[in-house]
Amino acid sequence: MVNIHPTAIVSSKAKLGENVSVGAFSVIHDDVEIGDNTFITSHSVIYNGARIGKNCKIYQGVSIAHIPQISNLQDVASFAMIGEGTTIHEFVTIHKASKEGNFTSVGKNVLLMAYAHIAHDVLIGDNCIIVNAVQIGGHVHVDDWAIIGGSTPIHQFCKVGKHAMVGAAFKVVKDVPPFVLAGEEPMRFSGLNSVGLRRRGFTPEQLDTLKKVYKIIYDSGLNVTQAKEQIKNEFPSDPLVKEVIDFIENSKRGIIPR
Amino acid sequence: MTRIHPTALVSKKAKLGENVSVGSYSIIHDDVEIGNNTSIGSNSVIYNGARIGKNVTILNSASVSHIPQDKKFHNEYSLLYIGDNSIISDFTTLHRGTEVTGKTKIGKNVIISQYSHVAHDCVISDSVFIGSFVQIGGHVEIDEFSVLEDFTSVHQFCKLGKFITVQTSFKVSMDIPPYVFVGGKPIRFLGLNSELFEKHNFTQKKIDSINLVYDTVYYSGLNFSQAKEKLKNNFPDDEVAIEVLEFLNKSTRGIVGK
Repeated sequence: MVNIHPTAIVSSKAKLGENVSVGAFSVIHDDVEIGDNTFITSHSVIYNGARIGKNCKIYQGVSIAHIPQISNLQDVASFAMIGEGTTIHEFVTIHKASKEGNFTSVGKNVLLMAYAHIAHDVLIGDNCIIVNAVQIGGHVHVDDWAIIGGSTPIHQFCKVGKHAMVGAAFKVVKDVPPFVLAGEEPMRFSGLNSVGLRRRGFTPEQLDTLKKVYKIIYDSGLNVTQAKEQIKNEFPSDPLVKEVIDFIENSKRGIIPR
Repeated sequence: MTRIHPTALVSKKAKLGENVSVGSYSIIHDDVEIGNNTSIGSNSVIYNGARIGKNVTILNSASVSHIPQDKKFHNEYSLLYIGDNSIISDFTTLHRGTEVTGKTKIGKNVIISQYSHVAHDCVISDSVFIGSFVQIGGHVEIDEFSVLEDFTSVHQFCKLGKFITVQTSFKVSMDIPPYVFVGGKPIRFLGLNSELFEKHNFTQKKIDSINLVYDTVYYSGLNFSQAKEKLKNNFPDDEVAIEVLEFLNKSTRGIVGK
């Protein structure tokens, strides 16, 4: 049983799941899929290419799958995916991908607070929290459980690793490795995200290993390539350490300094 | 005589005063009270729990009394007050309280500019000016006649004294005592807020005692607890000293440094 307000404009081609509700003055375009139990309140617009999961909450004035903010861009058939259980607060803007068939993706159980902007081709992992007015540039990757503090802009093509936490009102212009705290201006490494990791059930031994790894990267006087080699020798098979090494190897913009 | 645009959706249960006007496509929910002569622009939504005073101006697309972005919030009953003669600009988001205090309070003659956010349980006193894109976290207290310039962000639980100015685009993460001018990254004391003293016709006697008090707090080389002792001993009857002392005593996040 879908529940659509009489003033909402919903395309008959849009695929709406069970119990979906659409509030007053909201608009849903043709090529849209919305999962069961998702609700959309008033004044939101869901454009072509939106694929929204189950149990999402979408509040006032949200714009999903709008065309990317790129000059001279032709409208292409690309997508914006929203995972299950994600909450999107007022005036959030999520743009679809810039190339045909590609997608911008927001994971499951993500909290996007008011005024956040998710640009084209961005990938946001599961359980992330994106606080008020965070402006995320194109092609950025934010991995699972990361938290981005309020009013922080993220430069295009940057990566933020798993369980990382970025402080409020700073600027991300380089890659933030997994499991760390990042802050200050210019952005730098500010320690391990111990509180966050402990909350998510990491053991003291694991925290200890990660501490040692980041000590080698940031405190040993080695450059990143040398540090990587030393970590590979000292911790050859630890899966968490592999995560860190993989992140550094895939980093194109370079990781944040100390 | 209320004037409601034919496309606006106003609940019959909402209590609207005399001469209230509601613009096109705006929505007013059930549990709302709006005072005389208040006007609401188009596309705005006033959610349950809003208590809006007289002569208030709410412009377009505002979201007033929406639910808090807080994990401890479980749909409990709470309120949002807006005092008489306040101006709420376009796209602002004002959230109602949580169970902790039960209310968010915005005083009289307050101006909140576009894209600004006032989170749950905040107390904004009378005649405060809030610039564009200011993001204010939960439980923040801002005392009367203070000015937050554009792009300021305020960390949750911060307390801001009266007659202060925060310079454009900085982050407030500590408590700010009354009568000062702050800015920089990290935020710090930059001097006394003489511009506001002039504007509000402070007597020379009051300005002198503000000078003396802040000489002790910031220029005497003492730490804050020593400065508090000295204030208590040297200015036992001084109005300003008592005010500042009270503020220093109730500060929970620490006072901004120099």
